[in-house]
Order: sequence, then structure tokens, then C-alpha cells
Amino acid sequence: MDGCQSTIPTSEGDLHVVAAAHHIVKALGATKNLSDDLRKILIDLDAHLSMITSNTDSKGGRGFVNVEERLKQAERKILSWESDPRMIWDSGPREASKYLEAVDEIQTLVDGLQGLSVHENRKQKELIHHAMSVLQMAMSRLEEELIHILVQRRQQFDPKHMTSRSTQRDVVYDESFVSVEDEPTEETSSRNCSGDEIGEYIVDLIHADVIPDIKSIAKVMFTSNYGPEFCEAFIGVRKETLEQYFAIIDTEKLSIEDVLKLEWTSMSSKMNKWTWSMKIIVRVYLANLKGHDSWLLELGEAVAMGPHQPEKLLRLLDMYETLADLLRDIDTLFSEEAGSFVRLQFHELLESLGDSSIAAFEAFRVAISSNGSLYPFPGGGVHPLNKYVMNYIRMFSEYCNTLNLLLKNQHVDVADQVIEPDNGPNLSLSTSCPMACHLRSITSSLESNLHRKSQLYKNEALQHIFLMNNIHYMVQKVKGSELRLFFGDEWIRKHNGKFQQHAKNYERATWSSVICFLKDDNPGSSSLSKQTFKERCKGFSIAFEEVYKTQTSWCIPDPQLREDLRISTSLKVVLAYRTFLGRNSAHIENKCVKHTVEHVEKFLLDLFEGSPRSLRNSRRW
Amino acid sequence: MPATDYQASFLGRISLRRNQVIAMDGNHEQEDLELFSKHVSERFTELLSPPDDVVFDTLLSISWLRKLLDVFLCCEAEFKAVLMMGDDDHPFQISKPPLDRLIHEFLDRSIKALDLCNAVTNGLDSVRHYQKLAEIAASALGQKPIGDGQARRSRKALNSLLMAMSVDDKECSAVKTTERSWSFSRLAVNKDRSPGHLRQVAKKWSAAKQIQAMTWNLVPPRGAEGSGLASPVYTMSVIMVFVMWALAAAIPCQERNGLSATYFPVRKQWSWDQSITGLHEKIAEEWKEKEKKGAAGLLSEVQKMEKLVRNLMEFTDSFQFHGGTDEKAEEAADHAAELAEICKRMEEGLLPLQMKIKEVFHRIVRSRAEFLQALKQGGKSSAPPV
Repeated sequence: MDGCQSTIPTSEGDLHVVAAAHHIVKALGATKNLSDDLRKILIDLDAHLSMITSNTDSKGGRGFVNVEERLKQAERKILSWESDPRMIWDSGPREASKYLEAVDEIQTLVDGLQGLSVHENRKQKELIHHAMSVLQMAMSRLEEELIHILVQRRQQFDPKHMTSRSTQRDVVYDESFVSVEDEPTEETSSRNCSGDEIGEYIVDLIHADVIPDIKSIAKVMFTSNYGPEFCEAFIGVRKETLEQYFAIIDTEKLSIEDVLKLEWTSMSSKMNKWTWSMKIIVRVYLANLKGHDSWLLELGEAVAMGPHQPEKLLRLLDMYETLADLLRDIDTLFSEEAGSFVRLQFHELLESLGDSSIAAFEAFRVAISSNGSLYPFPGGGVHPLNKYVMNYIRMFSEYCNTLNLLLKNQHVDVADQVIEPDNGPNLSLSTSCPMACHLRSITSSLESNLHRKSQLYKNEALQHIFLMNNIHYMVQKVKGSELRLFFGDEWIRKHNGKFQQHAKNYERATWSSVICFLKDDNPGSSSLSKQTFKERCKGFSIAFEEVYKTQTSWCIPDPQLREDLRISTSLKVVLAYRTFLGRNSAHIENKCVKHTVEHVEKFLLDLFEGSPRSLRNSRRW
Repeated sequence: MPATDYQASFLGRISLRRNQVIAMDGNHEQEDLELFSKHVSERFTELLSPPDDVVFDTLLSISWLRKLLDVFLCCEAEFKAVLMMGDDDHPFQISKPPLDRLIHEFLDRSIKALDLCNAVTNGLDSVRHYQKLAEIAASALGQKPIGDGQARRSRKALNSLLMAMSVDDKECSAVKTTERSWSFSRLAVNKDRSPGHLRQVAKKWSAAKQIQAMTWNLVPPRGAEGSGLASPVYTMSVIMVFVMWALAAAIPCQERNGLSATYFPVRKQWSWDQSITGLHEKIAEEWKEKEKKGAAGLLSEVQKMEKLVRNLMEFTDSFQFHGGTDEKAEEAADHAAELAEICKRMEEGLLPLQMKIKEVFHRIVRSRAEFLQALKQGGKSSAPPV
């Protein structure tokens, strides 16, 4: 259509004009002083005019014959496909383009006929009607073809990959806060999937190679004023496709009531799927849609409305961030009036998600404080609450910017605020950013709670072991992750001091009474009386065995810490024992010295292994 | 009365009262309750007559629905004020039995209402689809003289439109497919189009059941209860149920079987009973009539559209075979113009209606959060019931 414009001089007047023009051209051509360019133009024009005049019947009144011929020819093409059960676009690009040419031809004829408003005679009207009729047939067919192409070439959406990835992430932190398990996996898969992963799953609902076909159909339909039909068909299929995808991702659409009642595991997976869906679908699809984001909005709103359990926090933050990112795209795409309603809804949803996140954060803090225990944690090791909290907050650093934004106006308890000089130009990583303050407040609550738990132990030494283990764990977690940037060196130093203090307290509580037996009462005198020596030995053995029995069942999970404590203990006890025996070597007989120094050394290694032992029944001497 | 005006005057009254130094007795609460009832009654009575700009003979037009939702928002604002204001004199009153139970039931109802809002919003999408198809049909028939091609074009659109309306109306189908009614023989045969278990709402969800569930436990307070805050809670519940019912009646949404027979447990005791009941009866009557003929929602515009569409279908049918007489062509052109007019109304009114529904949605969500907060606070500080 863009190429040769065929004109249809069908009225007598027009024929005269053409003849006149031709005459002039011939006359000009005879002129001698023509530039090459001008000559070329004239030759072209001459040829063109000749074509026109040769095409028309010089006898007036039958000027429409040519039009009718062409119309009939195009009609034949179009009718030939009407009875054909095959789809045109399935039959190859040549067939398709021939069909489109025919439609084009009719369009041109109609335009030409309608352009001749001067003489509205019956013949002209008839022709117009005929052409329009054929055109309608063609448009109807094109609509069918369009739908066929769109449906045929829908991308296959493979949900299996998607679900397996999301379940991988679900492994960590899907326990609800109430039932804190032992040792969740330390390996947290990265929260943000890389751009590549998303790229894999970005499903454009139409395969790339049919886009030219669709474009050509669109062009023809729009030029013929059949744009509305094109739009309805196109939107209809895409809407269907999208809903199929939704159905695949999430086979069950839930009402708000249902969503609110969801158990955590289902809720968590739903929220994950939401985030995925947003990333994939919104990115690709928004351009054409206006009502179909409603599903996403509804689910998002239902989730934002629900009870703000602490375990939802990370998911909520995921949703928030995804939406915040996409909002830029949404804003651009929906900048016109009709779309602003949708835009507004998304912004409101973002706000709700923000509020929910803050509420979940609060709930997290409250849950930590109120997590009570009836019984002391056996073995004095690292409490599951501690593990849960520390591992959970480790993941917050990824959401640092969002959390800082949301928590900016939230009040923080000032207890245990460590004032530290700013770490550098990057304010968000400093120890004084809102998130850092809240994190310290959280660990502070955790510490208080752990202190309360330690009071459940009757044995003072065990209280100290418990606190030593737990504070050490907290420090390790902070040091070993990005949290150290938020907590700062001061905090780390302070807490190092704390657990070391507990270690010392433990030693004092346990061993001072034992070492008492080995003390040198009179520095001056060389040795004790035999009787005293015997008593002392016995006392020491009993006390030592008691400690052994009790404390082999205690636990220090961290190997380095265990080693350090053993060494420290060993230094005190073994040294004292050796000295004691050395000073009283005169009295040593096999009978009263139950354990050699080497034995004591060895037995000390059994402490804190977590498996209770007793020396009473031991035949090792 | 627009929501903002009302709120301004009401809040003005509150601040005035708070500045009064005169000792309060319990009576002013009673005043508020009576005032609330009175306002409700007035507003709903106003709704009995259709808005001025509307020319339909049925009640449920787009502009009437917008007014209804405005009334809802006004009533809700007043309701919240009455309930929360009671707190000043009797702190945390709403968290004490039996009020706390009533409020929890009310909040459960409001969640169901939220689902209905969503369903109705989806239903409005269907209406927009009708509009688009009708526009095609109307413009095709609007050109004079009507040619063969235009008539066929119009007929195709009209056909799709009627099919869409009848699909939406199938009250016996539990699963509504969103599949467009492609009226192509070739495509119907085409195997690769899965019939689709497509749903716009949850599979087992049903508008009728939802509304019925909302009326469960909706019992007018008796005796001593009736004079306290229990009665506005009841009133607001009835209002909510009615509004949702009217929306579901007007707009095609899933599974409305039996909805026309929803029983409203009201006693003709209060002034507002009569206006709401009056409306309910009027709409129910219209519904019964339409039910016989089959209709995709009672929305006046859709009703009118359907009538015109059938007329035009007749015309295009006969045109195909007999060619058009001038008289028939004139008539058809008139109908087409009317249809175009309806499309214009829809174009102007549907989006604001959707926005209004969203506003209602968000209001319900916010109020729910506020009530939950108040109940929680009250629960903390109230002594255990004797």
C-alpha cells in the first residue's frame, strides 16, 4: 500500500485532466534544454500517465469497470479462503501476504470510491457497498486468524522450575515463630534471584516470531476502521492466557476470608508466589491490561490485611520491595487518566504493605520479649530462640534500605544504645541508621529474655555456661555477617566482654570450691599432715567426680569456645593439683590418691561434651 | 448529602459537646443513637426515588449505585463515630460483652463484604466488555445507508454480546469461565484451545452463599440490648448486607442463584427499617420479573442494552435476507443511537463506580483495623467478666 499508489480516474473530468497532463509532459519532453534530472522525471511521469490512460476506457461512463474488475479479483481471493477449513497463517507466509494484499486492494478501492464525493451515482454506491461487504468478510476472517495465532503460539509456561526454586527459599524461615525448631539450615539461599533467573521466566505471552504477523494484521484492521474488533480479540486472548498462567501458578484462588485463615506454610508459599508473579507478569503484561492486575491487587491486599505475624516480615518486605520497584514502571505505563485509578491502587497497596511490615516487625520484637519457658533448656547450650532470632535478623541487611525507610519514624527503646562515631560516608550502613537502632533493640530484648531463661537453672555455674554460650553465639553471628556493619565494633567488644565474664563466673562458681581442697593453708610449711592430706584428696576426688558427673552432660556447642574454656580450666585445676601433689609427695600412696594428674587432665576433656558420664563406675585409675 | 459535608457537621457537633462543661449523663448517647437511626432512614428514603439525571424505569442504574455507595460511606462514618465516641465516657465499652461478640460478628461480615466488593469489581469488567461490543455494533449501524457488510459486522458484535450476557447469567453454572464467546466455527473445532478451568473468583465461592452467610446470626437486639450500642451495630450490619446484596443483584458475579430470595431479618421497629425494606422489596420485585426472562444482572444500563440489542438483532437478521426498508432502517438507526448513548453513559460511569467500590473496600479495611485495635486495647485493661 505504501508503494505504488494507484489512482482511479473514473470520472470524465479526471480523464481530461490526465490527458492534458500527458500532453504537457510530451511537450516539455521535446524541449532541448533539459537537465538530466528533469528529463528523468518527465520520462517517469510519461510512463505513469500512459499506464493510467491505457487502463481506462476512453469512452466515458464506463470508468468504473476497472474498479469492478479489481474488486472482483480481490473478492475471489477472499472468498476462496472462506470455504477453506485451514487457517491462512498456517499455510505459509506467501499465502498470508497474498491475502493481506487482497484486503489492501479492497481498502484502496473503497478509499478511492469514497473519495469521489462529487458524483454520487447508483453504480458508485453499489460498488462501495459491495466492497464494504467483502471487506467485512475479510475482517472477520482476520480476527479469526489473529486469535488462532495468539492461541497457537502462546509460550509454554513451565511452572515446575518456578515452584522448585521458590520452595528452595521456603526451606529457611518457614517455621512459625511459635514452634522454634532446632538449628535451621545455616545456608540461606540468596533472596534476590539474579536477573538471569527472571529472564528465563519472563514469559512474553506471544512468541517473538509471530509479532510481525500480528503487526501486519493489526495494520490492515486498523486502517479499515476495524480497530475495535482487533482490540477486543487481542485483549480477550491475552486475558485468557494470563488467567491460565495464574491458574497454573496458583491453582486455588482464595477469597479474602480464606487467605486470612491460612496456615503459615501455605501463606508463606502464597506470598512467595505473589512476589514471583509480580516480577514476571507485571513486567511483561501491564502495557495492555487494566483489569487483570486485580487478582494481584486482591491477594496483595488480603495479605496486607492479615494478622501481622513476625514470620511474615521477610515475605512482606519482599512484596514491598518488588512492588516499589515495579511502581516506577507502573507509573510510566499508567500515566494517562484512565490508568491512574490503577496506579493509585498500587500505591495504596504499597502503603498497606509498608504498614504491615512495620506491624510485623513490632510483633517480632514483642514475640521475642514474651517468649517464655517453663523449664530450663537442657545442657545449657544455645537456645533455639537465639538461633531463630539471630539467623532471622541476619537476613534483614538485604532489606536495609527499605527497612530504614519504613522504620524511620518508629520509636526505639533507648536502652543499650551504643554511641559510636559514624562509620563513614555511607549513612545507611552506619551503626546509627534506624535499622541498626532497631536491631540493637531487638538483640537487647533477646538478651533480657535469655537472662530470664538462665534463672531457671538451679545451678549457678550452669546459668553462666548458658549465658556464655548464648552471648557468644550472638557475637559470632554478628561478626560473621553484614550485621557487624550495623552493630559496630563497640557492640562486639562489649559483648565479647560479657561472655568472657560469664566464663570467668562459671569457673569461679564451679572450681573455686574444688580447688579449695588443694589450697595451701600455710605457705610457710612444706606439707600437710598425712591425715589432712588424705582428707583433702578425698574431698577433691569427690568434688571433682561430682563436677564430672554433672558437667559432662553440659554443652558448649562452639568447639573453639569449648577448647578455650577447657584450657583455662585445665590451667587452673591441673596446675593446682600438680602443685598440691608435688608439695605433699611424701604422702602419696596409691590408695589415697585416686586420680593422677594425667587422669585429671584427661577427664577434663570430657566436660561439656553433652554426654553425661560418671567416674564412679569407671575402672580407669 | 455528600460524605464530607456530613462528617464536617457531625464532628462539629462533637467538638461542641466536648467543650461543654455541663455534667453529662447517659442520655446523650441515646441521642446519638437516635440521630444515627434518623439519618440512616433519611438517606435511604432519598434512595427510593432515582436520581434526576436518570431516565430508566428500573432502580439499579450506575448513578444510583454510586449514590448508594455514598450513602454507605456516610452511614459508616457516623457509625464509627458513634461507637468510638462512646469510648470517651465508657472507655473500651466495645470490648465488653455482649458488644465485643457483636462487633466480632460484624467484622466477620465485613470480610465477606470485601470478597463481594472484589467479585463485583470483576463483574464490572464484564460490563465493560459488553460496552465495547455494543459500541462496535452501534457504530456499524450508525452509518447511513446501512450496507450489507455493516449489518453483518453489527450482527457479529451483537451476537457475541448476547452470548456474553447469557454466559454471565448462567446461574446454574458453578464455575464461570472467562472464555470469550468466540463465534467462529473454525475456532470452535480447534483442539488446542483448552476450555480452561479459568476462574475469576474462588471455585467454590458463590455470591448468594456469601450474602446468606452474612445474614447468619444477624438478629435484631432485643430488650435491654436494644437500647445500647448493640442497635447501631445491628443497623450497620443490615446496611452492609443490603448494599452488598444490591451490588450483587445489579452486576453479574458468580453464582447468584437464590439471591433474589435473601431474607432480611428486620423488624418494623425503627424508622430506617421501612426505607431499606422498601428498597429491598422494590429490587426483589424487579428481579423476579427479570428472572423469568433471564438477565445478566439488573443494572439498568445493561437491561436497556439487552433490549436494544435484541431489537437490533432482529433488524440485522431480517436485513440479511430482505434488504432494508427505509422505515426499518430508520428505526434501527434510532436504536443504534440509543445504544451508543448507553455506551456513553457506561464509558462515563463505570470507572467512577469501580473507584467508589474500591473506596468502600478500603474504608472497610481501615475501619476493621481500627476496631480490632480498640478491641485489643480494651481487652487488656478490662477486668475479666464476672
